[in-house]
Amino acid sequence: MKVIVTRTGGMAGLRRTWEVTIDEQPDRDSWQELLTRLPREHRLPAPPQPDRYVYEIRWSRRRVVLPEQQVTGPWRELVDRVRETEDRRQA
Amino acid sequence: MNCSIVPPYLLQRLASLEDPALAPVAAAARASLQRDVPFRGIRVGEAAPPTTSDRRSTLTTRALRDPDRTIADAGNTEALPGTIVRREGDSAASDPAVNEAYDGLGETHSFFRHVFARASIDDNNLPLAATVHFGDDYDNAFWDGERMVFGDGDGIVFRRMTASLSVIGHELAHGVTQHSANLLYKDQAGALNESVSDVFGALVEQRSLGHSTDEASWLIGLGLFTDEVEGEALRSLKAPGEAYNDDVLGKDPQPAHMRDYVQTSDDNGGVHLNSGIPNHAFYLVAQELGGQAWERAGLIWYTALTNGSLTPTADFAAFATATAAAAIALYGDDSVEHSAVRAGWTGVGVPVGRPAE
Repeated sequence: MKVIVTRTGGMAGLRRTWEVTIDEQPDRDSWQELLTRLPREHRLPAPPQPDRYVYEIRWSRRRVVLPEQQVTGPWRELVDRVRETEDRRQA
Repeated sequence: MNCSIVPPYLLQRLASLEDPALAPVAAAARASLQRDVPFRGIRVGEAAPPTTSDRRSTLTTRALRDPDRTIADAGNTEALPGTIVRREGDSAASDPAVNEAYDGLGETHSFFRHVFARASIDDNNLPLAATVHFGDDYDNAFWDGERMVFGDGDGIVFRRMTASLSVIGHELAHGVTQHSANLLYKDQAGALNESVSDVFGALVEQRSLGHSTDEASWLIGLGLFTDEVEGEALRSLKAPGEAYNDDVLGKDPQPAHMRDYVQTSDDNGGVHLNSGIPNHAFYLVAQELGGQAWERAGLIWYTALTNGSLTPTADFAAFATATAAAAIALYGDDSVEHSAVRAGWTGVGVPVGRPAE
Protein backbone atom coordinates (compact mmCIF):
# COMPACT_ATOMS: atom_id res chain seq x y z
CA MET A 1 0.00 0.00 0.00
CA LYS A 2 1.25 3.45 -0.88
CA VAL A 3 0.92 6.64 1.08
CA ILE A 4 1.10 9.67 -1.21
CA VAL A 5 1.56 13.20 0.11
CA THR A 6 1.08 16.11 -2.30
CA ARG A 7 1.87 19.64 -1.21
CA THR A 8 0.66 22.64 -3.19
CA GLY A 9 0.20 26.33 -2.49
CA GLY A 10 2.77 28.20 -0.46
CA MET A 11 4.17 31.54 -1.55
CA ALA A 12 5.92 29.92 -4.51
CA GLY A 13 2.93 27.86 -5.63
CA LEU A 14 5.14 24.81 -6.26
CA ARG A 15 3.71 21.30 -6.42
CA ARG A 16 5.64 18.54 -4.71
CA THR A 17 4.82 14.88 -4.15
CA TRP A 18 6.33 12.30 -1.81
CA GLU A 19 5.31 8.66 -1.58
CA VAL A 20 6.14 5.59 0.46
CA THR A 21 5.27 1.98 -0.33
CA ILE A 22 4.61 0.72 3.17
CA ASP A 23 4.98 -2.99 2.38
CA GLU A 24 8.57 -2.34 1.27
CA GLN A 25 9.53 -0.66 4.53
CA PRO A 26 11.48 -2.56 7.20
CA ASP A 27 9.31 -0.90 9.87
CA ARG A 28 6.01 -1.52 8.10
CA ASP A 29 4.27 -2.41 11.37
CA SER A 30 4.89 1.01 12.86
CA TRP A 31 3.59 2.60 9.62
CA GLN A 32 0.40 0.58 9.97
CA GLU A 33 0.12 1.65 13.58
CA LEU A 34 0.48 5.31 12.60
CA LEU A 35 -2.28 4.95 9.99
CA THR A 36 -4.65 3.59 12.64
CA ARG A 37 -4.06 6.71 14.74
CA LEU A 38 -5.23 9.09 12.02
CA PRO A 39 -8.51 10.79 12.92
CA ARG A 40 -11.49 9.45 10.99
CA GLU A 41 -13.95 12.20 11.74
CA HIS A 42 -14.64 14.88 9.15
CA ARG A 43 -13.10 18.15 10.27
CA LEU A 44 -14.23 21.55 9.07
CA PRO A 45 -11.33 23.20 7.28
CA ALA A 46 -9.77 26.20 9.00
CA PRO A 47 -10.07 29.62 7.35
CA PRO A 48 -7.24 29.80 4.81
CA GLN A 49 -4.16 31.80 5.70
CA PRO A 50 -2.76 33.26 2.48
CA ASP A 51 0.37 31.57 1.14
CA ARG A 52 0.30 28.63 3.52
CA TYR A 53 0.68 25.18 2.05
CA VAL A 54 -2.17 22.79 1.21
CA TYR A 55 -1.54 19.07 1.83
CA GLU A 56 -3.35 16.20 0.14
CA ILE A 57 -2.77 12.81 1.75
CA ARG A 58 -3.90 9.62 0.02
CA TRP A 59 -3.69 6.00 1.14
CA SER A 60 -5.88 2.92 0.65
CA ARG A 61 -9.14 4.47 -0.60
CA ARG A 62 -8.91 7.58 1.54
CA ARG A 63 -8.09 11.11 0.44
CA VAL A 64 -7.78 13.97 2.88
CA VAL A 65 -6.99 17.62 2.06
CA LEU A 66 -5.71 19.74 4.92
CA PRO A 67 -4.47 23.31 5.19
CA GLU A 68 -0.95 23.43 6.59
CA GLN A 69 -2.07 24.78 9.96
CA GLN A 70 -4.23 21.66 10.46
CA VAL A 71 -1.41 19.21 9.70
CA THR A 72 -0.83 18.50 13.38
CA GLY A 73 -0.57 15.46 15.66
CA PRO A 74 -0.66 12.15 13.75
CA TRP A 75 -1.18 13.96 10.42
CA ARG A 76 2.06 15.88 10.98
CA GLU A 77 3.81 12.71 12.05
CA LEU A 78 2.68 10.94 8.86
CA VAL A 79 3.61 13.78 6.51
CA ASP A 80 7.05 14.26 8.12
CA ARG A 81 7.72 10.54 8.02
CA VAL A 82 6.72 10.17 4.36
CA ARG A 83 8.92 13.13 3.41
CA GLU A 84 11.91 11.90 5.40
CA THR A 85 11.62 8.37 4.02
CA GLU A 86 11.41 9.59 0.43
CA ASP A 87 14.22 12.12 0.93
CA ARG A 88 16.44 9.36 2.35
CA ARG A 89 15.59 7.14 -0.58
CA GLN A 90 16.46 9.90 -3.04
CA ALA A 91 19.71 10.80 -1.33
CA MET B 1 -28.23 59.75 2.21
CA ASN B 2 -24.74 60.85 1.29
CA CYS B 3 -24.37 64.64 1.01
CA SER B 4 -21.27 65.27 -1.03
CA ILE B 5 -19.86 68.76 -0.73
CA VAL B 6 -17.33 68.55 -3.54
CA PRO B 7 -18.69 67.39 -6.89
CA PRO B 8 -16.80 64.64 -8.77
CA TYR B 9 -15.70 66.74 -11.73
CA LEU B 10 -13.95 69.14 -9.37
CA LEU B 11 -12.32 66.30 -7.45
CA GLN B 12 -11.10 64.85 -10.74
CA ARG B 13 -9.50 68.14 -11.73
CA LEU B 14 -7.82 68.40 -8.35
CA ALA B 15 -6.72 64.76 -8.52
CA SER B 16 -4.77 65.43 -11.70
CA LEU B 17 -2.87 68.48 -10.46
CA GLU B 18 0.80 68.15 -11.36
CA ASP B 19 2.33 71.07 -9.43
CA PRO B 20 4.48 69.41 -6.72
CA ALA B 21 3.47 72.16 -4.29
CA LEU B 22 -0.13 71.01 -4.63
CA ALA B 23 0.64 67.28 -4.25
CA PRO B 24 -1.18 66.96 -0.91
CA VAL B 25 -4.29 68.47 -2.50
CA ALA B 26 -4.12 66.01 -5.39
CA ALA B 27 -3.62 63.10 -3.02
CA ALA B 28 -6.55 64.16 -0.85
CA ALA B 29 -8.79 64.50 -3.89
CA ARG B 30 -7.80 61.05 -5.13
CA ALA B 31 -8.46 59.59 -1.69
CA SER B 32 -11.87 61.18 -1.65
CA LEU B 33 -12.70 59.85 -5.13
CA GLN B 34 -11.68 56.35 -4.11
CA ARG B 35 -14.00 56.37 -1.14
CA ASP B 36 -16.87 58.05 -2.92
CA VAL B 37 -17.14 56.01 -6.11
CA PRO B 38 -19.96 53.74 -4.86
CA PHE B 39 -22.00 56.77 -3.85
CA ARG B 40 -21.68 58.61 -7.11
CA GLY B 41 -23.93 56.23 -9.00
CA ILE B 42 -21.18 53.92 -10.18
CA ARG B 43 -22.16 50.61 -8.62
CA VAL B 44 -20.59 47.37 -9.74
CA GLY B 45 -21.80 43.91 -8.76
CA GLU B 46 -24.02 43.43 -5.74
CA ALA B 47 -21.86 44.78 -2.93
CA ALA B 48 -23.70 46.17 0.06
CA PRO B 49 -22.90 49.83 0.61
CA PRO B 50 -20.13 50.49 3.13
CA THR B 51 -21.26 51.67 6.55
CA THR B 52 -21.53 55.30 7.53
CA SER B 53 -18.14 55.23 9.21
CA ASP B 54 -16.54 54.43 5.83
CA ARG B 55 -18.06 57.37 4.03
CA ARG B 56 -15.84 60.29 3.34
CA SER B 57 -16.82 63.01 0.94
CA THR B 58 -14.66 65.90 2.05
CA LEU B 59 -11.06 66.66 1.20
CA THR B 60 -9.75 65.68 4.62
CA THR B 61 -7.97 62.37 5.00
CA ARG B 62 -7.47 60.17 8.06
CA ALA B 63 -4.41 60.85 10.26
CA LEU B 64 -1.49 59.11 8.56
CA ARG B 65 0.77 57.96 11.37
CA ASP B 66 4.32 56.63 11.24
CA PRO B 67 4.65 52.83 11.24
CA ASP B 68 4.72 50.89 14.51
CA ARG B 69 6.79 47.78 13.76
CA THR B 70 7.56 44.75 15.90
CA ILE B 71 9.81 41.93 14.69
CA ALA B 72 9.87 38.61 16.53
CA ASP B 73 12.09 35.53 16.21
CA ALA B 74 10.50 32.06 16.27
CA GLY B 75 13.91 30.44 16.78
CA ASN B 76 13.29 27.83 14.07
CA THR B 77 10.22 26.53 15.88
CA GLU B 78 6.64 26.97 14.69
CA ALA B 79 5.51 28.79 17.83
CA LEU B 80 4.06 32.22 17.07
CA PRO B 81 4.57 35.06 17.61
CA GLY B 82 8.05 34.22 18.91
CA THR B 83 10.38 36.40 20.95
CA ILE B 84 10.37 40.13 20.19
CA VAL B 85 13.80 41.17 18.95
CA ARG B 86 13.28 44.60 17.40
CA ARG B 87 10.70 47.27 18.09
CA GLU B 88 9.90 50.49 16.25
CA GLY B 89 12.79 52.88 16.52
CA ASP B 90 15.33 50.30 17.74
CA SER B 91 18.65 50.35 15.95
CA ALA B 92 19.53 47.60 13.49
CA ALA B 93 19.95 44.08 14.84
CA SER B 94 22.89 41.82 14.01
CA ASP B 95 20.48 39.41 12.31
CA PRO B 96 19.96 40.35 8.63
CA ALA B 97 16.55 38.61 8.50
CA VAL B 98 15.29 40.85 11.32
CA ASN B 99 16.53 43.97 9.55
CA GLU B 100 15.19 42.94 6.18
CA ALA B 101 11.75 42.34 7.71
CA TYR B 102 11.90 45.65 9.59
CA ASP B 103 12.97 47.63 6.53
CA GLY B 104 10.55 45.83 4.24
CA LEU B 105 7.63 46.56 6.56
CA GLY B 106 8.71 50.19 6.57
CA GLU B 107 8.95 50.40 2.77
CA THR B 108 5.53 48.81 2.33
CA HIS B 109 3.94 51.07 4.94
CA SER B 110 5.52 54.07 3.24
CA PHE B 111 4.21 52.95 -0.14
CA PHE B 112 0.59 52.73 0.97
CA ARG B 113 0.87 55.96 2.97
CA HIS B 114 2.48 58.18 0.36
CA VAL B 115 1.01 56.72 -2.80
CA PHE B 116 -2.56 56.04 -1.69
CA ALA B 117 -2.91 58.02 1.57
CA ARG B 118 -3.64 54.72 3.36
CA ALA B 119 -2.94 54.62 7.10
CA SER B 120 -1.21 51.22 7.44
CA ILE B 121 -2.75 48.07 6.03
CA ASP B 122 -6.16 48.51 7.68
CA ASP B 123 -6.31 52.26 6.95
CA ASN B 124 -6.50 52.78 10.70
CA ASN B 125 -2.79 52.80 11.62
CA LEU B 126 -2.60 49.09 12.49
CA PRO B 127 0.77 48.18 14.04
CA LEU B 128 2.85 45.94 11.78
CA ALA B 129 4.18 42.61 13.03
CA ALA B 130 6.47 40.05 11.46
CA THR B 131 8.09 36.86 12.69
CA VAL B 132 11.32 35.53 11.18
CA HIS B 133 13.11 32.15 11.47
CA PHE B 134 9.82 30.24 11.42
CA GLY B 135 10.17 26.47 11.17
CA ASP B 136 13.07 24.34 10.05
CA ASP B 137 14.38 24.83 6.48
CA TYR B 138 10.97 26.38 5.84
CA ASP B 139 10.78 27.43 2.20
CA ASN B 140 7.87 29.77 2.62
CA ALA B 141 6.38 33.01 3.93
CA PHE B 142 2.73 33.68 4.74
CA TRP B 143 0.21 36.10 6.25
CA ASP B 144 -1.62 34.51 9.19
CA GLY B 145 -4.33 37.17 9.50
CA GLU B 146 -2.35 39.23 12.01
CA ARG B 147 1.31 39.09 11.06
CA MET B 148 3.76 38.13 8.36
CA VAL B 149 5.73 34.97 8.98
CA PHE B 150 9.01 34.13 7.20
CA GLY B 151 11.02 30.94 6.92
CA ASP B 152 14.74 30.73 6.31
CA GLY B 153 14.54 28.75 3.10
CA ASP B 154 16.44 25.50 2.75
CA GLY B 155 19.64 27.00 1.37
CA ILE B 156 19.51 24.61 -1.58
CA VAL B 157 16.67 26.00 -3.67
CA PHE B 158 15.57 28.98 -1.59
CA ARG B 159 17.42 31.64 0.34
CA ARG B 160 15.73 33.32 3.30
CA MET B 161 12.31 34.69 2.40
CA THR B 162 12.94 38.20 3.77
CA ALA B 163 15.48 38.78 1.00
CA SER B 164 12.82 39.98 -1.45
CA LEU B 165 10.94 43.24 -0.98
CA SER B 166 8.30 42.10 -3.46
CA VAL B 167 7.59 39.11 -1.19
CA ILE B 168 7.31 41.30 1.89
CA GLY B 169 4.99 43.66 0.02
CA HIS B 170 3.00 40.67 -1.27
CA GLU B 171 2.41 39.34 2.24
CA LEU B 172 1.41 42.73 3.70
CA ALA B 173 -0.90 43.34 0.75
CA HIS B 174 -2.85 40.22 1.85
CA GLY B 175 -3.61 42.27 4.95
CA VAL B 176 -4.77 45.20 2.83
CA THR B 177 -7.09 42.87 0.90
CA GLN B 178 -8.35 41.32 4.15
CA HIS B 179 -9.25 44.81 5.40
CA SER B 180 -10.90 45.92 2.17
CA ALA B 181 -12.48 43.63 -0.45
CA ASN B 182 -11.67 40.53 1.65
CA LEU B 183 -11.50 38.35 -1.45
CA LEU B 184 -12.13 34.70 -0.58
CA TYR B 185 -8.93 32.65 -0.91
CA LYS B 186 -10.33 30.16 -3.36
CA ASP B 187 -10.84 29.81 -7.14
CA GLN B 188 -11.07 33.07 -9.11
CA ALA B 189 -11.56 35.32 -6.07
CA GLY B 190 -8.50 33.66 -4.55
CA ALA B 191 -6.49 34.14 -7.72
CA LEU B 192 -7.49 37.82 -7.60
CA ASN B 193 -6.41 37.95 -3.95
CA GLU B 194 -3.05 36.49 -4.99
CA SER B 195 -2.78 38.82 -7.98
CA VAL B 196 -3.47 41.94 -5.93
CA SER B 197 -0.64 40.88 -3.63
CA ASP B 198 1.71 40.34 -6.56
CA VAL B 199 0.75 43.69 -8.10
CA PHE B 200 1.33 45.70 -4.93
CA GLY B 201 4.39 43.65 -4.01
CA ALA B 202 5.90 44.51 -7.37
CA LEU B 203 4.92 48.18 -7.05
CA VAL B 204 6.46 48.50 -3.58
CA GLU B 205 9.71 47.16 -4.99
CA GLN B 206 9.52 49.36 -8.11
CA ARG B 207 8.96 52.50 -6.09
CA SER B 208 11.82 51.70 -3.71
CA LEU B 209 14.12 51.32 -6.73
CA GLY B 210 12.66 54.31 -8.60
CA HIS B 211 11.88 52.07 -11.59
CA SER B 212 9.56 53.11 -14.36
CA THR B 213 7.41 50.54 -16.17
CA ASP B 214 10.16 49.99 -18.74
CA GLU B 215 12.93 49.65 -16.15
CA ALA B 216 11.07 47.32 -13.79
CA SER B 217 11.71 43.58 -13.66
CA TRP B 218 8.03 42.78 -13.11
CA LEU B 219 9.21 39.73 -11.13
CA ILE B 220 8.00 38.44 -7.78
CA GLY B 221 10.66 36.99 -5.53
CA LEU B 222 13.73 38.12 -7.44
CA GLY B 223 16.68 37.11 -5.25
CA LEU B 224 14.99 34.21 -3.46
CA PHE B 225 16.37 31.40 -5.57
CA THR B 226 19.90 30.15 -4.95
CA ASP B 227 22.39 30.03 -7.82
CA GLU B 228 21.54 26.35 -8.23
CA VAL B 229 18.15 27.15 -9.70
CA GLU B 230 17.56 27.70 -13.41
CA GLY B 231 15.31 30.65 -12.99
CA GLU B 232 15.04 34.28 -12.05
CA ALA B 233 12.07 34.48 -9.70
CA LEU B 234 8.82 32.88 -8.57
CA ARG B 235 6.52 34.68 -10.98
CA SER B 236 6.55 37.25 -13.78
CA LEU B 237 3.73 39.72 -14.40
CA LYS B 238 5.29 40.61 -17.75
CA ALA B 239 5.65 37.00 -18.91
CA PRO B 240 3.67 34.50 -16.82
CA GLY B 241 5.06 31.02 -17.39
CA GLU B 242 8.62 32.20 -18.01
CA ALA B 243 9.92 32.98 -14.51
CA TYR B 244 11.80 29.68 -14.16
CA ASN B 245 12.49 26.37 -15.89
CA ASP B 246 14.46 24.06 -13.65
CA ASP B 247 15.18 20.31 -13.38
CA VAL B 248 13.98 20.12 -9.79
CA LEU B 249 11.27 22.79 -9.67
CA GLY B 250 9.90 22.18 -13.15
CA LYS B 251 8.62 24.96 -15.37
CA ASP B 252 6.71 28.04 -14.22
CA PRO B 253 3.09 26.82 -14.67
CA GLN B 254 1.32 30.19 -14.75
CA PRO B 255 -1.11 30.99 -17.57
CA ALA B 256 -1.17 34.46 -19.12
CA HIS B 257 -4.61 34.19 -20.73
CA MET B 258 -8.06 32.85 -19.87
CA ARG B 259 -7.80 30.18 -22.55
CA ASP B 260 -5.14 28.54 -20.35
CA TYR B 261 -7.02 28.89 -17.04
CA VAL B 262 -6.15 25.93 -14.81
CA GLN B 263 -9.07 24.01 -13.29
CA THR B 264 -7.62 22.17 -10.32
CA SER B 265 -8.36 21.22 -6.73
CA ASP B 266 -4.71 21.90 -5.83
CA ASP B 267 -3.78 25.13 -4.09
CA ASN B 268 -7.34 26.20 -3.16
CA GLY B 269 -8.34 26.06 -6.81
CA GLY B 270 -4.99 27.14 -8.25
CA VAL B 271 -4.83 30.61 -6.70
CA HIS B 272 -1.06 30.89 -7.31
CA LEU B 273 -1.46 29.63 -10.88
CA ASN B 274 -4.40 31.60 -12.26
CA SER B 275 -3.17 34.82 -10.66
CA GLY B 276 -0.98 35.00 -13.77
CA ILE B 277 -3.99 36.16 -15.78
CA PRO B 278 -4.96 39.28 -13.77
CA ASN B 279 -1.24 39.88 -13.13
CA HIS B 280 -0.63 40.13 -16.85
CA ALA B 281 -3.67 42.38 -17.30
CA PHE B 282 -2.12 44.80 -14.81
CA TYR B 283 1.21 44.67 -16.62
CA LEU B 284 -0.51 45.45 -19.95
CA VAL B 285 -2.32 48.44 -18.44
CA ALA B 286 0.89 49.75 -16.84
CA GLN B 287 2.89 49.25 -19.99
CA GLU B 288 0.27 51.07 -22.09
CA LEU B 289 0.25 54.06 -19.74
CA GLY B 290 4.01 54.16 -19.16
CA GLY B 291 5.79 56.16 -16.48
CA GLN B 292 5.78 54.91 -12.91
CA ALA B 293 3.22 52.13 -12.66
CA TRP B 294 1.97 52.90 -9.16
CA GLU B 295 0.75 56.37 -10.15
CA ARG B 296 -2.08 55.50 -12.51
CA ALA B 297 -2.42 51.74 -13.06
CA GLY B 298 -1.69 51.20 -9.36
CA LEU B 299 -4.19 53.85 -8.31
CA ILE B 300 -6.90 52.30 -10.49
CA TRP B 301 -6.29 48.86 -9.01
CA TYR B 302 -6.17 50.24 -5.46
CA THR B 303 -9.40 52.15 -6.00
CA ALA B 304 -11.21 49.07 -7.30
CA LEU B 305 -9.94 47.01 -4.35
CA THR B 306 -10.90 49.47 -1.62
CA ASN B 307 -13.98 51.41 -2.70
CA GLY B 308 -16.57 48.77 -1.85
CA SER B 309 -17.31 47.76 -5.44
CA LEU B 310 -16.16 44.14 -5.00
CA THR B 311 -17.78 41.26 -3.16
CA PRO B 312 -15.57 38.63 -1.47
CA THR B 313 -16.51 36.14 -4.21
CA ALA B 314 -15.75 38.46 -7.13
CA ASP B 315 -14.54 36.68 -10.25
CA PHE B 316 -12.11 38.01 -12.88
CA ALA B 317 -14.92 39.65 -14.90
CA ALA B 318 -16.29 41.47 -11.84
CA PHE B 319 -12.82 42.71 -10.96
CA ALA B 320 -12.20 43.85 -14.53
CA THR B 321 -15.46 45.80 -14.50
CA ALA B 322 -14.53 47.34 -11.14
CA THR B 323 -11.19 48.54 -12.52
CA ALA B 324 -12.94 50.05 -15.54
CA ALA B 325 -15.37 51.85 -13.23
CA ALA B 326 -12.46 53.12 -11.16
CA ALA B 327 -10.68 54.40 -14.26
CA ILE B 328 -13.83 56.24 -15.32
CA ALA B 329 -14.26 57.79 -11.86
CA LEU B 330 -10.64 58.89 -11.67
CA TYR B 331 -9.91 59.94 -15.25
CA GLY B 332 -13.15 60.04 -17.22
CA ASP B 333 -14.97 57.76 -19.64
CA ASP B 334 -12.96 58.81 -22.72
CA SER B 335 -9.59 58.87 -20.96
CA VAL B 336 -6.48 56.98 -22.12
CA GLU B 337 -6.51 55.33 -18.69
CA HIS B 338 -9.99 53.86 -19.21
CA SER B 339 -8.99 52.62 -22.68
CA ALA B 340 -5.82 51.06 -21.31
CA VAL B 341 -7.76 49.19 -18.64
CA ARG B 342 -10.22 47.77 -21.17
CA ALA B 343 -7.38 46.79 -23.51
CA GLY B 344 -5.46 45.15 -20.65
CA TRP B 345 -8.30 42.82 -19.75
CA THR B 346 -9.16 42.11 -23.36
CA GLY B 347 -5.51 41.19 -23.81
CA VAL B 348 -5.86 38.34 -21.30
CA GLY B 349 -9.28 37.22 -22.49
CA VAL B 350 -11.40 38.58 -19.61
CA PRO B 351 -14.61 40.39 -20.57
CA VAL B 352 -15.03 43.93 -19.20
CA GLY B 353 -18.63 44.92 -18.49
CA ARG B 354 -20.11 48.36 -18.68
CA PRO B 355 -20.28 49.76 -15.14
CA ALA B 356 -23.91 50.48 -14.10
CA GLU B 357 -24.85 54.11 -14.61
